[in-house]
Amino acid sequence: MMNQNQPPSDGRHDDDSALADFLASLMDYTPTIPDELVEHYVAKSGFQCPDVRLIRLVAVATQKFISEVATDALQQCKARQSAAVKDKRDKQQKQDKRLILTMEDLSKALHEYGVNVKRQEYFADSPSAGIDPASREE
Amino acid sequence: MSDGGGECGREDEQDARRESGSDDFGRAISKIAVAQMCESVGFQSSRQSALEALSDIAIRYIRDLGKAARFYANLAGRTHCNVFDIIQGLEDLGSPQGFAGASDVDSCFVVSGTVRDITRYVSWAEEIPFARPVPRFPIIRNRKSIPSFVQIGENPPGKHISPWLPAFPDPHTYIHTPVWNDRETDPRTDKIEQARQRRKAERSLLSLQQRLACNGSATTAQVDPADDVKLKRVADGNQFLAPPMQLGEKDVSPVVLPVQLANDLVVENQISVLETFAPAIEAAKSGVCEPGDAGRTTLPNKRPTVHFKFGIGKKSLGVPLDLSLHSMSVGKTTAWFGKDEEKDDKKRRAEQILKECMENSQELAQL
Repeated sequence: MMNQNQPPSDGRHDDDSALADFLASLMDYTPTIPDELVEHYVAKSGFQCPDVRLIRLVAVATQKFISEVATDALQQCKARQSAAVKDKRDKQQKQDKRLILTMEDLSKALHEYGVNVKRQEYFADSPSAGIDPASREE
Repeated sequence: MSDGGGECGREDEQDARRESGSDDFGRAISKIAVAQMCESVGFQSSRQSALEALSDIAIRYIRDLGKAARFYANLAGRTHCNVFDIIQGLEDLGSPQGFAGASDVDSCFVVSGTVRDITRYVSWAEEIPFARPVPRFPIIRNRKSIPSFVQIGENPPGKHISPWLPAFPDPHTYIHTPVWNDRETDPRTDKIEQARQRRKAERSLLSLQQRLACNGSATTAQVDPADDVKLKRVADGNQFLAPPMQLGEKDVSPVVLPVQLANDLVVENQISVLETFAPAIEAAKSGVCEPGDAGRTTLPNKRPTVHFKFGIGKKSLGVPLDLSLHSMSVGKTTAWFGKDEEKDDKKRRAEQILKECMENSQELAQL
């Protein structure tokens, strides 16, 4: 995987060391996703590695991904709130100050990452629920 | 992650649904971790469904990353993954988003843009350790293995089977073998039961004979049947089965006149005991005179006697008897009334009853 075209240079050596340093620094950094969880799921997919640093790397990568998604969802939520606030400046403004992660924001944020999450808009008791009584009788 | 066109997406969904049952612990931990991350980003709360979806996506990301890393390791002819496999996996997963240097063909993985992004993320993101200590999971339980022939102590059928191999299942698991009730002590208990019943019958008849002996006074034959029926009525064992007695019928004191009429019916017409009850009582109440009603002058001073009608299918007095009545009256000594004025008929009947009782108990024991 290492490019053999480039002759070994200080630059690459620095890069190597940068990577090595980074991996070493990972040991100091505790990712939010616990190591046991990552090990479990990574083992399920066939990943075999006794090195803890790689587990940490996977955990950090996942954490970065999730935080990016959450940030985008937050921006969506704020955008929606500001749009709503523009229309009415009532108690609604105070109500919407709470930032709640909803499926709408999440699905919009995930759409950019290639994840299609669709949420049921409503649940009906029967196929004819909500239809006009006239047509239902038929 | 949406797979291409959702063709294999459905399989993944089904897999996820099937695995979700056993995977609850992992999902719960992932939910906590994702909630912590959302909180750090700025959310104050979140919907349950959104949180679950995001935690599910986190798990899938981990698995996809592991899958990609394993793929690249296998591609390189290795089974253990190293950092470059992971970096390549990161590039695969991050390519839709894009990262610096994605379009470089000859770049080394050491300087991959993904790694730089992660480095940058680690440097500015605050460290949020997981809220709780997580035990190692999944816990592997030792399964009970099938014991070998040696462990059971069996000899394997056939020389070609080694004794250290697992034993064969019991034949009752694959062959329909007849099931016999273990009744080794049953004949004994049967005999005991038989003897007990006989003793009971003997006891009751003994007391009857005693009462016969001590009762010296004699009464008319008509009175006897009166007692007879009355006793029969009670002796039919279950008073709930007998028709309800009217007021003043079951008199201890000498008020037997209406009953005597019914008794006559039983003795002379030889109608079934049950049949006599209702019409007899009604007749008694209405005061209808039955044929053959001789003058009743003497009234019993004491209570009428109780007669047990034994015999399955046997008509001791030409009266059809119910098996149910017999089974209930067997061994019953509590419904005995004090009886007096017994005549030879009574004694004959008593002996007959005794005989039938013995045979009855024998028959019942044999059943």
